[in-house]
Amino acid sequence: MFARYILERLAIFAATVFVSITIVFFMPRLVPGDPLGAVMSRLSSVGGSMSGQELIQEYRRRFGLDKSLMEQYFSFLSQLARGDLGYSILSFPSRVTDLIANAVPWTIGLLSLTTIISWVLGTLVGAIVGWTGGRNRFSQILVPLALLLYTTPYYILAIILIYLFAFYWPIFPLSGAYEFGARPDFSLDFITDVIHHGTLPALSIVLVSLGWWFLSMRSLIIAEQGADYIMWAEAKGLKSRRIFWAYAFRNALLPQATGLALSFAHVIGGALITEAIFAYPGIGFLIYNSIKGSDFPVIQGSVLLIIVSVAVANFAMDMIYPLIDPRIRTGSMR
Amino acid sequence: MATIPVEEIAHPPVVPQLGILTHLLHNRKFTIGLAVILVLLLVSLIGAQFVDPAERRTGAFPARQSPSWDAILGTTSLGQSVAIQLTQAIPNSMLVGFIAATLGTVIGAIIGLASGYFGGKVDALLRILIDVFLSVPPLLFLILIASLLRGVSVPTMALIIGLFAWAWPARAVRSQALSLKERQFVQVARLSGMGDLEIVFRELLPHMLTWLGANFLNAFITAILAESGLSILGLGPQRDTTLGIMLYWALRYGSILQNFWWWWLTPVILLMVLFLALYLVHLGLDEVGNPRLRAHG
Repeated sequence: MFARYILERLAIFAATVFVSITIVFFMPRLVPGDPLGAVMSRLSSVGGSMSGQELIQEYRRRFGLDKSLMEQYFSFLSQLARGDLGYSILSFPSRVTDLIANAVPWTIGLLSLTTIISWVLGTLVGAIVGWTGGRNRFSQILVPLALLLYTTPYYILAIILIYLFAFYWPIFPLSGAYEFGARPDFSLDFITDVIHHGTLPALSIVLVSLGWWFLSMRSLIIAEQGADYIMWAEAKGLKSRRIFWAYAFRNALLPQATGLALSFAHVIGGALITEAIFAYPGIGFLIYNSIKGSDFPVIQGSVLLIIVSVAVANFAMDMIYPLIDPRIRTGSMR
Repeated sequence: MATIPVEEIAHPPVVPQLGILTHLLHNRKFTIGLAVILVLLLVSLIGAQFVDPAERRTGAFPARQSPSWDAILGTTSLGQSVAIQLTQAIPNSMLVGFIAATLGTVIGAIIGLASGYFGGKVDALLRILIDVFLSVPPLLFLILIASLLRGVSVPTMALIIGLFAWAWPARAVRSQALSLKERQFVQVARLSGMGDLEIVFRELLPHMLTWLGANFLNAFITAILAESGLSILGLGPQRDTTLGIMLYWALRYGSILQNFWWWWLTPVILLMVLFLALYLVHLGLDEVGNPRLRAHG
C-alpha cells in the first residue's frame, strides 16, 4: 500500500514537471502574433555591436525556428536537462541562470522568514482566542480583523504600508534590499541595513498570511473543544491550562503544520508582486524588470525554475508526510 | 481558500431548490455581500451613462487635482477624472471575474464529473491532470502568456485566466461525483434505464449547485486577484481600464511619493471592499450548503 502511494506521488511529480515544461515550450509557438519572431527582432534592435550579433546567432540556433516542431521540442528538453536556460537579452552576456542565482537567495530569505514568523504568531494567537472563545473580548476585534487581512491581497497591503511607513512617517526605506552602492558582505552594518530595508516587504507578507493562520488555528481548536477526549479530560478534573496545551493544542497542530509545509512549496514564487512593488531584488523583481525590458528568455527561465521548485517541494512534502501521519503509511487514508 | 467539503447531503433525489434560495436570502453574510457587489456595479453602470465620452480622454481635466466638485475623486497626472475611470474599471474588473469564473467552473465541472462518474482509466488520467494544475500556481503560466501577447483586451485576459482556473472546481466536483454515484437514487436511475449523460446532468448536477456556486465565487475572487496582479506587473489590458490598471498607472507615475493619495487609494479601497464582499457571499454559500457550519454562524 505504501509503495503504491510513493509510486503515485512520483508519477504526479514527473507529470507536473513534464506537462509544465511542455506547456512552456508550446505556448510561444502557438500563441498568435509570432512572439518568438518578436524576440528575434528585439534582439536585432539591441545589437548592432559584435556581442549583439553573437546573441542573435545564439538565439537563431536556440529557437531553431527553421527546424521542425518536434526537433525544436527535443533540443529544448535537452537544453533544460543540462540546466541551460540561455542568455539574457537585456544584460547580455549574462546567462539567465546567473541572473536567477543572484535573485533567488533574496526571495528565499524574505519568504522563509516571513512564513515562519506569521505561522508561529497566527497559530499561537488563533489557538488562545479559539480556546477562550466568547469569554475573550479580543476575539470580537481579532476575528473580523483577521478576516479583513486574509481577504486583502498582499500587494494591496504593500501599497498601504509604503504610504504609511515610507512616505507619511518615513521610518523605512521605500525600495531595494540594501542602501544603493553598499557592498554585500556579512558585516554588522550591512546586516542591519538589510533588516531595515526588508521590514516593510516582510510586514506586508506577514500580516496577510497571519490572518489566514489565525483563522485556521482558531477553527481547528474550536473543533477540538467539542471532542469526547476533551470532555473526558475535563471530567477527570485536569487543569484547563493542561488540557489546552497537552491535548487540544497538540492535536490541532498536525493540520496546521501540514499547512506550513505546504506553504513552503510556494516560498520562491509566493510574493512576486510584492517584490516588484518594493523593488526587492528577488525573483519577482527580476521577472518585473524582464517584462519591462521584453527579456523573454529570463521570464521563461524564471517561470520554469519556480514551477520545478514547487513540484520538488510538493514531492518532498508527500514523502515526509507519511512519517508524520501514520494513517497514510498504513493506507487507511482513502 | 478553504472550502469545507459537503460530505453528506441527507436529502432525497429532488432537492427543494427553492429551500436553498430562501436559506440564502435569510443568510446575512450572503445578502450583505451580494448587496455591496450589486450596488458597486449598478452605481458605476448608471454613472457611466452620464459621462460625456469627451470627458474620458486624457487631458479632459486639469492634471493632479485633489478631490473637488468637478472631479469628486480628483484627477490623475494625465488629466483624467478618477471617478470617471471607476465607472469603467469596476464593471471591467467584474467582467474579468465573471468570464474567467464561468469558464473555469464549466471546464472544471465537466472534467470533474467525467473523472468521478466514469472512474477507471479516464479517472486515473484526469486525476493526474487535475493534480498537475493544482500544484503549479496559475499566475506563472499567466505571466508567460501575457508577456507573449502584450496589450490584451479585457475579454481575452478573462479567457486566459479562465483557462487556468478549472483545477479546484474539477477536484471538488470529482469528489462529489464519487460519493454521489453510489447513492441509491443514482442506482435507481441507472436501473430505470437512464443514460450516463442523463444521470450526470439530471441526477448528479442538481446536488452540486450550491457547491459549484462556492467554487464559482472562489474562481471569481482569484480571477480578479490575477488580473490586478498581472496589471501591476505591467501585463494587464492597458488599453482598457480595470481596477488593476488604475493601480498600475498610479504606481508608475509615483502617485504615493507625490502624495496624490486619491489616485492610488481609490482602486485600493475598491479592491478591498470588492474582495470582502465576495468573501462574505462565499461564506454565506458555504454555510447554507453545509448545515453543520450554521450553528457556529
